[in-house]
Amino acid sequence: MSKKMSIMDIPEEEAEWPGNPACQGCAGSTVGRLVYKAIGRNSLRVEVASCAPGFMNIRVPSFYAPAFEGAGAFLTGLARGYKIIGREDVVVAGLIGDGGTVDIGFQGLSAAAERNENIFWFTYDNEAYMNTGGQRSSATPQYARTATTPPSKLLRGKGERRKNVPFILALHRVPYVSTASVAYPEDLTAKIMYGKGVKGFRYMHINSPCPTGWGFDPKDTIKVARMLVDSGLWPLYEILDGRHLRVTYKPRKLKPVAEALGLQGRFRHLTDEEVSAIQETTTSEWEKLLSMDGGEIC
Amino acid sequence: MKSEVMVGNKAVAYSVKLSRANLIAAYPITPQTTIVQYLSEFVSSGELEAEFVNVEGEITAQLACMAGSIAGARAFTATSGPGLLYMHHALHGAARYRLPVVMAVANRGVRTMGPDHTDLMAQRDTGWIHLYCENNQEVLDTGIMAYKIAEDERVRLPVAFGLDGYVLSYTAEPVEIPDQEAVDDFLPPYKSLYPVLPEKFDEDIEHYKRHWNEGHGINEPFTPYPADESFSHLTMVRWGAGHDLQWRWRGHQEAITRAKQVINEVDAEYGKRFGRSYGGLVDEYRCEDVEAVIVAMGTIASTARAAIDKLQNEGKSIGLVKLKAFRPFPTEQFQSIGERCKAIGVIDRNISLGEGGIVFASVRSSLYDQEERPIVLSYHAGLAGNEVRVRDIEHIANRTLKAARGERVESLVEWV
Repeated sequence: MSKKMSIMDIPEEEAEWPGNPACQGCAGSTVGRLVYKAIGRNSLRVEVASCAPGFMNIRVPSFYAPAFEGAGAFLTGLARGYKIIGREDVVVAGLIGDGGTVDIGFQGLSAAAERNENIFWFTYDNEAYMNTGGQRSSATPQYARTATTPPSKLLRGKGERRKNVPFILALHRVPYVSTASVAYPEDLTAKIMYGKGVKGFRYMHINSPCPTGWGFDPKDTIKVARMLVDSGLWPLYEILDGRHLRVTYKPRKLKPVAEALGLQGRFRHLTDEEVSAIQETTTSEWEKLLSMDGGEIC
Repeated sequence: MKSEVMVGNKAVAYSVKLSRANLIAAYPITPQTTIVQYLSEFVSSGELEAEFVNVEGEITAQLACMAGSIAGARAFTATSGPGLLYMHHALHGAARYRLPVVMAVANRGVRTMGPDHTDLMAQRDTGWIHLYCENNQEVLDTGIMAYKIAEDERVRLPVAFGLDGYVLSYTAEPVEIPDQEAVDDFLPPYKSLYPVLPEKFDEDIEHYKRHWNEGHGINEPFTPYPADESFSHLTMVRWGAGHDLQWRWRGHQEAITRAKQVINEVDAEYGKRFGRSYGGLVDEYRCEDVEAVIVAMGTIASTARAAIDKLQNEGKSIGLVKLKAFRPFPTEQFQSIGERCKAIGVIDRNISLGEGGIVFASVRSSLYDQEERPIVLSYHAGLAGNEVRVRDIEHIANRTLKAARGERVESLVEWV
């Protein structure tokens, strides 16, 4: 279980070079910075097609797995290869977008989890194919406007709810699954510090607001991220050994989802009824999560 | 040295064991499946010390081999037919990273379960070296030679070797198994030329920047990594250097062309050490002073030997050229053969729809610059596992001989 940390405990040493060509206000580049600060430089980075190749100016050996679907496979091969040369101390990590995780990369991800490969998978989730102009992925939340779910006479944005990948992976009974947010770096770092010491398959799903794709002011990235956590839309928790769940951040009272949604252009078309529907689902999901807190997921 | 009656798939497994591959990732598919099973037995019994990854599909198999090879593993995978098609995307990756991965392909057609070469031929332009085998002994020997070729510093490319599905993969023949010590001496343990290690990162970047600033590009055989534009920390150094990517293709083409010599050398050395060699790129069988030759690959070459023996006993002047290396294509060898005979009949167990026999086209193209060109005829045979008998080859040979003598043959292309 991760140990509570304060913002002062985040390692000072940077693993990134300054400057990168990411969009203004990109949370993904903050994810990269925070993740590698915590992992340290005795590590590797795998990426697949996503925004990451452009903005991840991280100073560890980096591999662009030459197949969008191939993150799980590439990480597997690296972990086994470094084991063969006697270097299991090297943290084999991947910074993979939501598409490379929940859609095209899902088969390889699930298989790597089932084999309990000794890898640490980080998903920076901007909730659509942002690098190609914001098309719907199965991580896109319901009602969101994307390039392929434009609200119109016949469509209210994305019709379906998102896939709950952290829980799906937990049910693979892997040693460590967690969620995180750039607005809570101490929580994110604490979880990585714990995960780093665990052998086997580790997974962290990080909410990564995208000003370009979500339609908000680039200065509000952290604010949006915080609103999502504080309203219960992006709860922070960890699941150990595929069973034991702990909610790592519990706002005393959830903020209304309307505030979080209101900041984002992709939800501008929503009616009051639709916002209420989201509120209802979010509240009940949050209560369900709290009922499992400190216990087992199933 | 001992001998054992074994199926082709077991010969593959033995070659992997003798080569001491230490990362094996493969997914079962008929008729390759037992390769994976034999290997898992070797690994679980402790006879072979290796990481065995039971992957969930062929893309993962290839990518895991590729990544393991970067780390310093001697990697092996095997597949067949549709599995190879599914792997296609990843094949380009292993080749562009210039990684010495070796793969056995139990050749299975892309439309049926039957054996033909359409599966591996569909990977023609991936940048791999492609070798084809005629019998189970050659399968075992080729598996070992494949690593020697792939890991040669002049080459550093992945190698695929084909064995006809069922006809070899599931058919037992006596096979000699070389001694482990002799193989170890021939093939020393694999070491990555440029191991990618976190503690070397800053040094590597400096090296790379210097290399780049001195105007070398990254075409000189090896940069700090067996890398290319895809290693993104290198990308950061030279963001936007697009023209460099075309040089990468050129460097790859030069390496695979150099492999022609290496394949011949490795074959000759193997012959010296183990008493068996296969002619390198091509094996000329009874081609001295003949009027015509036929060209065949895989097990059809084996059938063709019997046909050629029979025809030469009847006094007919025709020989066999067995094509072992399809990529790199032995252009020079065919030019030399073309100078010595008047007609070449090419048997293709494949087809490029809309053009025709793939080997036929390559052979014919090789001869274009010759002052005197032989007639080149095309035969499609054995597609979808269609049986090719000695008398079919006799027909092909007689028809080719007829053309060599200046008699009219009805069409350039014939389906047998």
